[in-house]
Amino acid sequence: MYQPFKYLIAIFALLLTANVDVVAQGGDVELGNSLFRANCAQCHSRDMTSDLTGPALGPALEIWADYPQEDLYRWTRNSHELIAEGHPRAVATWNEWKPTVMTPNPNLTDTDIASILAYIEGVYTGSIGGGADQAAAGTGTTTQSPSGINKYWVIGGLGVALLALSLILWTILSRLSQVQAMQAGETPQERTFKDLFTGRTAIGIYILLFVILGGFVTVNRAVDLNRQQDYQPEQPIKFSHVTHAGLNKIDCQYCHDGARRSKHALVPATNTCMNCHRAVRKGSKYGTGEITKIYASIGYDPSSDTYIEDYESLSTEEIKEIYTKWIADQYVLENDKMDSRGEALVEQEWNHIVESLTNDVKKTVQGPIPWVRIHNLPDHVFFSHEQHVMAGGVACQTCHGPIEEMEVVKQFSTLAMGWCVNCHRQTSVNFNNEYYEIYTHFHEEIQDGSRAQVTVDDIGGTECQKCHY
Amino acid sequence: MSFKNKDLVWTGTGDSRNKAGDTQREEFFNLPMLNEASQEPVSNGGRSSRRDFLKYMGFSVGAAAIAASCETPIRKVIPYVTKPDAIVPGVATYYASSFYRAGQFCPVLVKTREGRPIKIEGNSLSPFAGGGTSARVQASVLDLYDQSRYRKPARKDDEGKWVDVEWSELDEEVIGKLGSSRNIRLVTNSIISPSYQKAIEHFESKYNAQTVVYDAISSSAILLANEKDFGKRMIPGMDFSKADYIVSFGADFLGTWISPVQFAHQYGKGRKIKDTSRPEMNKLVAIENGMSLTASNADEKIQIKPSEQGLAIATLYNLLSAGPRVNVSGSFANEKAQSQLERLAQELKNAGSSLIISDSNNTEEQRLINRINRTLGNYGNTILPGKPLYVKQGVDRDLRQFASDLSGGRVDAVIFLDDANPLYDTPNGREIEEALSSVPTVISCQYSRNESAEASHYLAPVDHYLEAWSDLNPSAGYYAIVQPTIQRIFDTRSAAESLLVWSEHELAKDIQASNLEVRPYHDFIQSVWEQDVFTAQSDFSIFRSFWDNVLHDGFLLNASQTEPFGEFTGGNVDSQAITKPSGGAIELKLFESVGIGDGRYANNPWLQEMPDPITRVVWDNTLHVPIHWNGTDDFEVFNNLKDDGSLVEVRVGDFAKTLPTVKQFGQLSNTVSAALGYGRRVSGRAGQGVGVDFYPILPVDAEGNTQYYVGSAEVSNQVGEDEDFAIVQFHHTMGVTGPDESEDGEIINVDEKAVMNFFSGFQGGLVDRTVIRHSALDNLQENIDKLAEERAHAQYLNDQTLYPSYDYEYKQGHHWGISVDLSSCIGCGACQVACVAENNVPVVGKKEVNKHHEMTWLRIDRYYYGDVENPKVVYQPMMCQHCDNAPCENVCPVAATVHSTEGLNQMAYNRCIGTRYCANNCPYKVRRFNWLDYTTADTFPSNEPTPFGDENFYTDDLVRMVLNPDVTVRSRGVMEKCSMCVQRIQEGKLKAKVEGRALRDGEVKTACQTACPTGSIIFGDMNNKDAEVNELLESPLTYYALEETNTRPSIGYRMKVSNAATTGQNI
Repeated sequence: MYQPFKYLIAIFALLLTANVDVVAQGGDVELGNSLFRANCAQCHSRDMTSDLTGPALGPALEIWADYPQEDLYRWTRNSHELIAEGHPRAVATWNEWKPTVMTPNPNLTDTDIASILAYIEGVYTGSIGGGADQAAAGTGTTTQSPSGINKYWVIGGLGVALLALSLILWTILSRLSQVQAMQAGETPQERTFKDLFTGRTAIGIYILLFVILGGFVTVNRAVDLNRQQDYQPEQPIKFSHVTHAGLNKIDCQYCHDGARRSKHALVPATNTCMNCHRAVRKGSKYGTGEITKIYASIGYDPSSDTYIEDYESLSTEEIKEIYTKWIADQYVLENDKMDSRGEALVEQEWNHIVESLTNDVKKTVQGPIPWVRIHNLPDHVFFSHEQHVMAGGVACQTCHGPIEEMEVVKQFSTLAMGWCVNCHRQTSVNFNNEYYEIYTHFHEEIQDGSRAQVTVDDIGGTECQKCHY
Repeated sequence: MSFKNKDLVWTGTGDSRNKAGDTQREEFFNLPMLNEASQEPVSNGGRSSRRDFLKYMGFSVGAAAIAASCETPIRKVIPYVTKPDAIVPGVATYYASSFYRAGQFCPVLVKTREGRPIKIEGNSLSPFAGGGTSARVQASVLDLYDQSRYRKPARKDDEGKWVDVEWSELDEEVIGKLGSSRNIRLVTNSIISPSYQKAIEHFESKYNAQTVVYDAISSSAILLANEKDFGKRMIPGMDFSKADYIVSFGADFLGTWISPVQFAHQYGKGRKIKDTSRPEMNKLVAIENGMSLTASNADEKIQIKPSEQGLAIATLYNLLSAGPRVNVSGSFANEKAQSQLERLAQELKNAGSSLIISDSNNTEEQRLINRINRTLGNYGNTILPGKPLYVKQGVDRDLRQFASDLSGGRVDAVIFLDDANPLYDTPNGREIEEALSSVPTVISCQYSRNESAEASHYLAPVDHYLEAWSDLNPSAGYYAIVQPTIQRIFDTRSAAESLLVWSEHELAKDIQASNLEVRPYHDFIQSVWEQDVFTAQSDFSIFRSFWDNVLHDGFLLNASQTEPFGEFTGGNVDSQAITKPSGGAIELKLFESVGIGDGRYANNPWLQEMPDPITRVVWDNTLHVPIHWNGTDDFEVFNNLKDDGSLVEVRVGDFAKTLPTVKQFGQLSNTVSAALGYGRRVSGRAGQGVGVDFYPILPVDAEGNTQYYVGSAEVSNQVGEDEDFAIVQFHHTMGVTGPDESEDGEIINVDEKAVMNFFSGFQGGLVDRTVIRHSALDNLQENIDKLAEERAHAQYLNDQTLYPSYDYEYKQGHHWGISVDLSSCIGCGACQVACVAENNVPVVGKKEVNKHHEMTWLRIDRYYYGDVENPKVVYQPMMCQHCDNAPCENVCPVAATVHSTEGLNQMAYNRCIGTRYCANNCPYKVRRFNWLDYTTADTFPSNEPTPFGDENFYTDDLVRMVLNPDVTVRSRGVMEKCSMCVQRIQEGKLKAKVEGRALRDGEVKTACQTACPTGSIIFGDMNNKDAEVNELLESPLTYYALEETNTRPSIGYRMKVSNAATTGQNI
């Protein structure tokens, strides 16, 4: 009869040790991840193996391993101090990288740095997912961290154990009542599992479960209405971020130039494309057709390397002539002659151009390219790219995911309010900015050590009228 | 998806009751006491069963699901093809420009977003008005998106209908017609654009045409008086900031007279008390029959009938001048007037500097004013004849001549330029209209639907000033630029361009061929400036840099440039020509409305919905009728009228019109007043037929000058009640005093004894409310001490609280606050309209205001205090007080309104479920509820009101262009209120963060602050010790409204101080 309790105690013991394990893992990788994004990712590559503005941190960690850990901590907080003191490793790094100076991070506590280092090591050794994937995983709600998976197992196990326990108890109880009945001299009623699962109580529980589950699903679905995570529409031009941002490493803000000065990041104007594509006339993946769409939008004749005058007033036929000639010429250049396959191809490409650049509202090929908007926020939400990119120093990938690996862009994050608020609660503010000097209490607390960091939340970043007005 | 087709969709219970297209929409809230005119209360019409409930619920769930659109629409993002350098989408671009309309000039900055103007700010670089604006300037941006604009050139066909034509076609026909005309008249209001004048001159010389300049509210007499006295037709420049003592005979220089923004700015400088130990302030005395904006701000008021103005001016002249007396027969109806004028003369003699002005349109009376100013030595000090104002140039007799020429058939072509609308805004309107039908060619170069344009044969639509190039010369040495801030929305052309084309100027071909990029008129202006303005200055040697600089600043001030004027001729004034008092009849004073002006702003819904500063009535003109304290317990109203909104009939000769009345404190008995500018016969939807038109009864004196009062009018007893009468304030008095006859005429506080009379203005028991505090200048210290004592007591009580303090949060970071100076606030309403423009506050229309559904976030409360027969007025801009212990916050069941660590009372619209508990719990009554979908933010048309006319206002894409994209457009069922322009705060903070520096004081300004012409509203960070707002809030004059209720507001008011003798009843 006491047997089940033993099981139970054993399970609890297991659970407790498991939890202890989870907590006891040195520096907190999660924290390290978010701190890394907030403080380091501007200059240090996220893959930890390649140099950016600052050196790759994976190898650096190995080099610093020869020195006391304290030195590395000090180096992280204020590299210049160490260089001035003549620390051999510090001086060597300085000579290699000068005149680039590492921004001091005086606000980082020992735990913070330990967490960052744990994260760096984790990424470098590959024990946690690397690079941008991982950068995003910290904020993504779908990906579970290893400790999370543990917990689910434990809870599942517990559930099964409880179920088994209650069945055992039920069996014991029904046996007991049988025995009681027999002792009283009555005919014992045989109660089967079937009775148990079809009884009134059971049906009541089924209905209750159905209502709870149904409500849960309904609410969740309703909440998800109009959310577009993973939305990956086909765009009028097969623009490849892999080619542009990944392979050619064009800075995001070269094209999305609003990100640093406006609330909108901005889809670049066609003339921005022309800065490069006046020279680059043939795509590495999709050939002539896609780039010709840019030309047809702005009115550039690649055959003569001129902008067409009075392009707006040309008829579709006249435009067709210009660009089919260009596509045909390119075909001839490749295949030495124009054949029937070529002609069909030219016609097909042209139709594709017209289809991409026109719609119900915009009837002409000329004019702006009608891109499909992927990231949509409701009208009552104010979001400023400038705020996040310039003031917050948040990397594009934090919200947009590994864009440089996306052939076709998709919405990486939920863009749900909970997602915003979570990030605001976790991200610490760069308090070196002179603007924040007005937060006198926080500064005092940092000074006397009672405060490790100031999050966006602390300075009112989760108040309604920071985003809704 | 959208349910725009009303017939196909079930649109709510109202729809099921009135299927037959009954547009009456019954609201759930029909309090009969508030709204006796409303329909029967909504009855349930039988019991509803549980089945019905389930049906409705099922339907609403289904409808909601459809409305929420399970399928998300595909949204496009359309980039530029070639992005202009000046535009970054999402970032506002500002252009310096200038506003000029009907005599009002104001330097402005135009805020544009994505290439469309959305807000007008004052240009603080310019000393003209110091960055101040007026309500009209603020509202002018809405005119750009006016639905009744003329959109294409047109010609009338045989049936009198407009037929759209191309410009080339119109030009050809017009040139043909003009070529065969011998007597061409250009009819225009005052033009102060040098280039425009050049174009007119060119046209005149080509066709031997004559220009008739007139102003609807004319300053004809001032021009003629100065012509007689100085040999030059001019309005001398005036500097109110230098005047210690200002006397205004009926001239509403703060609201409407000549250059009100400039004057208000100058006047405001003299109203601010800097040092309370040695308080100094200018003194304003108004002499008139009623309550104009200026009279309401006056420190003392002498009540005279309109026809006694000549007598009053002559009396003052005789009292001050040693020269020959000017004798005017008659006496004042108000027995106090004579002695008051004597005292005034005495005070004027002792005053350091003074300024005497009059709105009289009688030349001899204005000559007396000149003489009084000369006697007081004001020329060269407060009156600057070398710096004349050019904003009013019309001499009325020219218009009379034009009317008689027309009737006599001596004119064969007429061109109405810009706003000139003589068919409406002159006493000769009907006469001109009749004569015009026999004129072969009538051309209108006009902007939107009006009487004169509709009587024309050809229509050459003109640009809005935000679309056009122009230049302005409002006063000597001050040149301003008007530059386009948006591409022309419609196929329009400025009148100057049309005249150049029609007079076949060398630029004509270019102008005709001009497109969006090329504007030949711009070159024309440049050439005029290069010739005239550039050569007269010495700061720049290269024209290009001169021009760029002017364009950047928006103006050029050549301080040394003066206009020559003749010596004072000193001739005698003809006392016979001075108006004689007209005796005992009821006199009707007609004045220009502060909001809609002489009628040309009537089609602007923002201005129609801006309450009149004095009467607080919207969407109507009213007859101001006098009211008297009966000495015992009640007020006696003129003709025993009942409530405000009682209809009476006004008869003057054949003219008989019915209009609502308002009981007006301070109105002299036997006089009534009404505004001009209403009753437009032809206008856009907002203005047409609103109110009564009084232009036809304006008398004309012997010299041809229009007079703005009627010497003898009949007013009937009550003939009815205006059921939609919309007034936004019922609390009128705040401690008016009068004699108590039962106690031998002892002066008592009338409010305490007056019979309580809800919703009609006399709120017994409003005494000693701490909403308003005021003092006279000479007992200021006494009142400051009293205030300090009361505040200390209130604070002591407030400190006895169990609730935790949030000082930790409030004492770091920002803590926003506003200081409002009641002494310099003149109640003009600029802040209110600025707030409407900035925050997408909807227009709701007369019916909704009648139901107390007005939406303005900022209102200007007006209270009377002092002598009950001749009270003073205090204006109080009242907006959300952003209480640090806000009563609204703790009653919200869903936490939709909460406090921020920066001290803002935040309102989250999307969290609000519309219980309205917060509005009920707000002691300041500043919260506004969206009873209907005023801005058509959602998809159910049955929720959308029609503020005027039959169609929605905001559904039009043209109108929606004025919306500020940084502020959410609120939908039905949510509460809203002043946010302290949080979008501006956030913008300023971001800029500072990105630049890595502290936020500077004055970097962020609220919309109301920038609009204010007198600088009464100062916003800032209370945690910034150096901020101006801190200095003001710590001043001993500052109090907080209802401080004893422990709401801890962030808006501090500075006590209203008037420069008058002690009344003994202050504070």
